[in-house]
Amino acid sequence: MLDATPKTTCDQKAPFDPREWLRLAAMPHFMCPGCGHGIALRALLAAVHDCGIAKDDLAVVCGIGCSGRVGGYIDANTMHTTHGRPLAFATGLKLARPDLTVVVVTGDGDCLAIGGNHLIHAARRNLDITCLMLNNEVYGMTGGQASPTTAATRVTSTTQSGAIEPTFDACALAAAAGAGFVGREVTRQAPALKTLIARALRHKGFAFVEVMSDCTEIYGRKNDLGEAPEMILSQKADMRPEQHRDAPDQPFRPNALPTGVFVERDLPEYGERLRAHAAAIRGEITP
Amino acid sequence: MRPLPQEDFAPAPRPASAGLNILVVGVGGQGVLMISKALALMAQRRGFAVKQSEVHGMAKRGGIVFSHVRFAEQVWSPTIARGEADMLIALEWAEALRWLDHLRPGRGVFIADTRKIVPPFACRSRKLGAPSAYARETPADVVGRHADGCALDATGIATALGDSRAANTVLLGRLSAWLDYPVAEWHEVIAAIVPKGTREINRAAFDAGRAWTPPAPDEAPAASAAAAVAPGPDLRIGVSIDAAWCKGCGICVKLCPERCLAMDGPKAIVRTPAACTGCRVCEWLCPDFAVTVRNEGVPA
Ligand SMILES: Cc1ncc(C[n+]2csc(CCOP(=O)(O)OP(=O)(O)O)c2C)c(N)n1
Ligand code: SF4
Ligand code: SF4
Ligand code: SF4
Ligand SMILES: [Mg+2]
Repeated sequence: MLDATPKTTCDQKAPFDPREWLRLAAMPHFMCPGCGHGIALRALLAAVHDCGIAKDDLAVVCGIGCSGRVGGYIDANTMHTTHGRPLAFATGLKLARPDLTVVVVTGDGDCLAIGGNHLIHAARRNLDITCLMLNNEVYGMTGGQASPTTAATRVTSTTQSGAIEPTFDACALAAAAGAGFVGREVTRQAPALKTLIARALRHKGFAFVEVMSDCTEIYGRKNDLGEAPEMILSQKADMRPEQHRDAPDQPFRPNALPTGVFVERDLPEYGERLRAHAAAIRGEITP
Repeated sequence: MRPLPQEDFAPAPRPASAGLNILVVGVGGQGVLMISKALALMAQRRGFAVKQSEVHGMAKRGGIVFSHVRFAEQVWSPTIARGEADMLIALEWAEALRWLDHLRPGRGVFIADTRKIVPPFACRSRKLGAPSAYARETPADVVGRHADGCALDATGIATALGDSRAANTVLLGRLSAWLDYPVAEWHEVIAAIVPKGTREINRAAFDAGRAWTPPAPDEAPAASAAAAVAPGPDLRIGVSIDAAWCKGCGICVKLCPERCLAMDGPKAIVRTPAACTGCRVCEWLCPDFAVTVRNEGVPA
């Protein structure tokens, strides 16, 4: 039987130094000036540090996109997989190595368009994986096509006269599909984002975190959203305290989505179920 | 805190027949109105005419909340004039001080939680560890000198019982020691006004407050009072920007609350390091890990 006990779960008290967690030879990273994905990366590393997870016990699985490139800068076990499929790869990895803390970093296109089915089934199974979806409302990497989260009226290379499709509320989708933990935060609230990710990492079961990120170079420019500082300032009025309150926060920007923890529930975890099931079957057939 | 003279704490119960003016003060969210409701209900049950008036406009923002409770054979004015309160119940230390002049000179009873809730406008400097403009007076300065009464760590007592929010009921319990109404009746009144699920803790908090005795002189908590007056340590904050990683997005420059940083061509630089408070906004929000904020500790 596989050992599912995580090796390191102590709470870390030493100060956080991101340079200890980055592949320094690959830095500076490839992302454009002001790209929100870099802020999300820092929050993820700080959360991993807070949870006291050792590098060897962390596996980060990424899809394709600017968001998918995030994992490559982390000095831990990392996988760059195929477009839309990081959750499928992560499912295999977590079942084979339940002792690892498995984190998926994906984008709105990666996770909701081509990978939409993988998301709903990962949530339904409730395997112990933390999924970070960096939502910049666009396909950043391929030059700015519309994604399932592109807001109405936004200009992209595939919506030249403004988007008209309704969007996905990814958190509502994950919750409806059965995820045990669901939350959302904006990069502007990086300390709160870190706390949210740490909570998701500690949750046993499928934890979905949507990070509202800014694509400054493409989405921001095409839509006249200002430079990086203006874009991040428009996310929320002010820095909030680090801790999440119980009730979700209402958005600052009109028509934006609320932030906070929406779902936190104990559900049977898939890996445990599968191992118990397999053991039961073995017990029946081998005397 | 200086040891408080023991005699001051033997409350002489007031006859149930006498009317009283009781002022309950605090800040939003502490439960000022719960105390005044319990008092009003109790007085009503004893056949008094009761008037209660309150101000809680800024309550949601941690602003002041106060409530006047008056009961007697006949009550005309709904408010208590300066110098006419028989009792002042304060849930927050600075509020206690602010309302002291409403107590009857020489014979008003003063009961306060020593808990401090420092309002944002008391923070004159945003530097880490900078002293605040919060009231300097310690419980020892007030209790013995101005009035009959006591200052207790009601929040600490309630926290030890399981919920810091029951601090108001701890103070109500303390107050009850000055009134000769039966304990069972207080329990009934409290059970009638608190949410069902909190009856147990509120009852325990009431009993703890009623049974409270001042700490013996040597175990009096000196530290909390001292912390209020001593200025914070002068911390050295070091902010640096790694030019090799900075992509010049301008986020740190525009979002630093103290305007410490500036653009120098395509890169950000630290312009006025002395103004840095160590808030780390720049460090958290730099997408390129180029900013490092170090707390270099207290200079020797
Ligand atoms: C099978 C497949 N189809 C299409 C692509 C092209 N492609 C690369 S990234 C991407 C979209 C990425 O968008 P998103 O997931 O939102 O990431 P972002 O770059 O915005 O972070 C697409 C369609 C691909 N690499 N593989
Ligand atoms: S294209 Fe957009 S999402 Fe991709 S790195 Fe640049 S700013 Fe970020
Ligand atoms: S830590 Fe950064 S943002 Fe905060 S005051 Fe210092 S330079 Fe400004
Ligand atoms: S936030 Fe970072 S990358 Fe942007 S200007 Fe400041 S130091 Fe440079
Ligand atoms: Mg995207």
